[in-house]
Amino acid sequence: MKVLTPLPDSKWNDTTAAHLLNRAGFGGTPIEIGRTRGKGLAAAVQDLVDVKSDAANVLSPAWAHPRNIQAARMEIKAAKDRGENFQTKARQVRMLEGQEIVDLRRWWLDRMLNGPAPLLEKMTLFWHGHFATSIQKVRDAYWMWLQNDTLRRNAFGNFGTLVKKISRDPAMMIYLDLQQSRREHPNENWARELMELFTVGIGNYTEQDIRESARAFTGYRIDMTTQQFRFAPFQQDHGTKTFMGQSGNLNGDDIIDILLRQPACAQFIGRKLWRFFVEDEPSKDIVATIAERIRVHNFEMRPVLREIFSAAEFYSDRVTSSQIKSPIQYIVQTSKLLDAPLPAPIVAQNAMRQMGQIIFAPPNVKGWDGGKEWISTSTLLFRYNFANYLINGDVILPPNAAKRRQGDDVGFGHTAHLAEQVRREPIDVGEFVPPEIRGKPPEVVDLLVKRFFHARPAEKEIETFVKFLESRASDTGDTTLRELVHLMMSTPQFQLV
Amino acid sequence: MLGAAATWTLPVFLEKTFFALDALAADTATQTVTGKDGTILVVLQLAGGNDGLNTVVPYADDAYHVARPRLRLSADQVLKIDSRIALNPKLAGLKSLYDEGHLAIVQGVGYPNPNRSHFRSTEIWQTASDADRMVSDGWLGRYFDNCCRGADPTVGVAIGEETPQAFAAKNPTGVTFSRLEQFRFQPSERGSGQMSAEEIFFRQLNETAASDETRTLVSNVGGSIGAISGKAKNDLSTLDFLQRTALDAQLSSDKILAIARKYKPTVPYPQGQLAASLNIISRMIAGGLPTRVYYASQGGFDTHAGQINSHERLMGEFNDAVAALVADLKQQGNFERVLLMTFSEFGRRVQENANGGTDHGTAAPMFVIGGAVKAGLFGKYPSLTDLDHGDLKFNTDFRGVYATVLDRWLKAPSQVVLGRKFPTLGIV
Repeated sequence: MKVLTPLPDSKWNDTTAAHLLNRAGFGGTPIEIGRTRGKGLAAAVQDLVDVKSDAANVLSPAWAHPRNIQAARMEIKAAKDRGENFQTKARQVRMLEGQEIVDLRRWWLDRMLNGPAPLLEKMTLFWHGHFATSIQKVRDAYWMWLQNDTLRRNAFGNFGTLVKKISRDPAMMIYLDLQQSRREHPNENWARELMELFTVGIGNYTEQDIRESARAFTGYRIDMTTQQFRFAPFQQDHGTKTFMGQSGNLNGDDIIDILLRQPACAQFIGRKLWRFFVEDEPSKDIVATIAERIRVHNFEMRPVLREIFSAAEFYSDRVTSSQIKSPIQYIVQTSKLLDAPLPAPIVAQNAMRQMGQIIFAPPNVKGWDGGKEWISTSTLLFRYNFANYLINGDVILPPNAAKRRQGDDVGFGHTAHLAEQVRREPIDVGEFVPPEIRGKPPEVVDLLVKRFFHARPAEKEIETFVKFLESRASDTGDTTLRELVHLMMSTPQFQLV
Repeated sequence: MLGAAATWTLPVFLEKTFFALDALAADTATQTVTGKDGTILVVLQLAGGNDGLNTVVPYADDAYHVARPRLRLSADQVLKIDSRIALNPKLAGLKSLYDEGHLAIVQGVGYPNPNRSHFRSTEIWQTASDADRMVSDGWLGRYFDNCCRGADPTVGVAIGEETPQAFAAKNPTGVTFSRLEQFRFQPSERGSGQMSAEEIFFRQLNETAASDETRTLVSNVGGSIGAISGKAKNDLSTLDFLQRTALDAQLSSDKILAIARKYKPTVPYPQGQLAASLNIISRMIAGGLPTRVYYASQGGFDTHAGQINSHERLMGEFNDAVAALVADLKQQGNFERVLLMTFSEFGRRVQENANGGTDHGTAAPMFVIGGAVKAGLFGKYPSLTDLDHGDLKFNTDFRGVYATVLDRWLKAPSQVVLGRKFPTLGIV
């Protein structure tokens, strides 16, 4: 069966252009969709995939620079030894770390919404889920930023190069205990996940392969004064290892090279890519084809992505509007559609947690399963209520919230300062609905449906929207329209992209 | 002018919806017993791999003290069950339950060809599959599919952010929530008791006919459950799945909030997430939510380093939360109807490691607690010297415990749900 045929030009229209923006980025407003359609398919894909090389040279958060952790620790220890109150100092350090990670999340969401290269950010998000690493164990926002930077710089590049860089990435090394691995006691955590989750998948290696490769990855260390990778030759196991049928004094990079030569590797990555960008259940044919393309391109990601986003299969009716928005997609795309700023950092962080995808803190090294796993009765209701906040601002909070915020309710923080942080203005709905059609419910609904839904909802739902407006016949003010937008977002259909 | 619909009050609206659901349920062959009056199972997951050896302690075994020079619990610390076995010092509540005759300890529970990956081993426990088989349906999901067809979605209630894989079913059943106050739709305008117009329209948008159809889907399930290959979470299209979840969310949120408003705990609960989860469960039981299976979890058991303090804290949290739940259920008069079962994806390595912790292991004990439970030690404590790659050899298959709970407690055919017959234990 032939798969990955290019989409004919005749099929390039608003719907397919919107689909490209949805999946290869974080959606588009009607104006952006029109502009993308106008470019033509080839140019639209090129703009996403062939971003200028300096697109990855993004301005880092002000605090994101290496610090002499060793010195800071010594300082705390010295204070302790002097009998001083070192706990205050230690707490200050922890507080600062907490603020930094909130800021890092804000910084990345901002790149997704406002940055010049949405696919680059989305691919970085793909790699973050693939090489899942959590601040909860790493405990240093600088290292999380450094990993994010590595993922972004290599997002469209060579997969083998990326795996090698990740094997030397301090955050990953800490997350999977690689920097603790000693010649006498090789730690198997990294070696196991390298195979199970990062390259070939379960069932394609033996316990023997894990033990031998763990030996090959000895000598990887982190310099705590510079916070960078350091190689310690004396900790390296120079003995002969036998890995997947090859013997010799193999080192970590040799192991990665051998893994990339396994047929299972291209299949594993190809399937995951297709699941992330296209559909939950890829067919065997699709996986085989993508794997073949990955091998043809020597694991270079850019040409593979170009082929995926140009393929008729990507634009098929089965695929469009069939994917459940990830929580990150939900936050960024909804902000874009509402033409509103991102929710305040502390609110966004809470929302990510409640919806089940908090960046820089995946639940475990497997990352996020995605698909139907995003949705439970709990997360669905949360999405509906979060839409309310995004649309109507902080007026939705209970009237006594301001008072509660001054108490020690940890849910919404414990200071009036936090009340300031969750403040949000209602959206300017007048921007989407010109005054002259406000008295015409079907036209208002039509206009808003086009903006907020990629696939038109069923007629029954359209009717319900119209009836809602009709029930407010005398009141077509902004408040009513915001309620309508909230109703539109409080539907199963709005969760799809 | 306000539409006529806007004057509907909440109870009228609900009555209509529930009437339709009840009619549906009556048509389907299903378990007529609901959690309102029938038996209830509470599953408690100890996520991360609980150290069985320091939970149910073989304090008289020299091999234990040799393998655990830093982590060992001495004979004068532990709560003795008999001359060989004792409970962790923090498990005082469980010790009293044992003495009262309400705690069964199943020793050496595991499965053949144990997997030491958290994810894979959790999956094996959640799906009750053989270690070399990939199955996507959860064991409780298959119970819902086979025995609770047409039942209210709240037949299964998981407290947490994520639905456990154990609930995954062909025909998704069960609701998941973590915080009561957020488990409801909040309309833009703040109502004054009556339902707002927006909320009424919201309800119409989230109760589509497709959901009712999928609810009565009859799937092909028989004796060959174990042969179902792992694929999708369920057979529904994505939109059908979303619509179904939306309906379940709406109906169950109404019921659950009504109960939560009416029923408050009768005993004090300690701080902490597990206690909060068990508190919600006890209120739902008190309020007669028709739930047969509740699910809660406690995390943090992956104690690779510095285990001595963290495990002590975890045991304390676990003990205090369970003790509060039991006291509450007794007060309600529901203790006889509830059975609580704990599990963890694996126990930990016998030999402690160089970082004052323990690595992933295999067999471990399970606790079964309830008014109707027969107290005692079940299974056999695994040998600490006859090991498999440094790990304990299991002697009781966890699916035997599941089978016991299904056959003897939920009165459900375990062979159908688990795919084959497993020997049951005399726990209930």
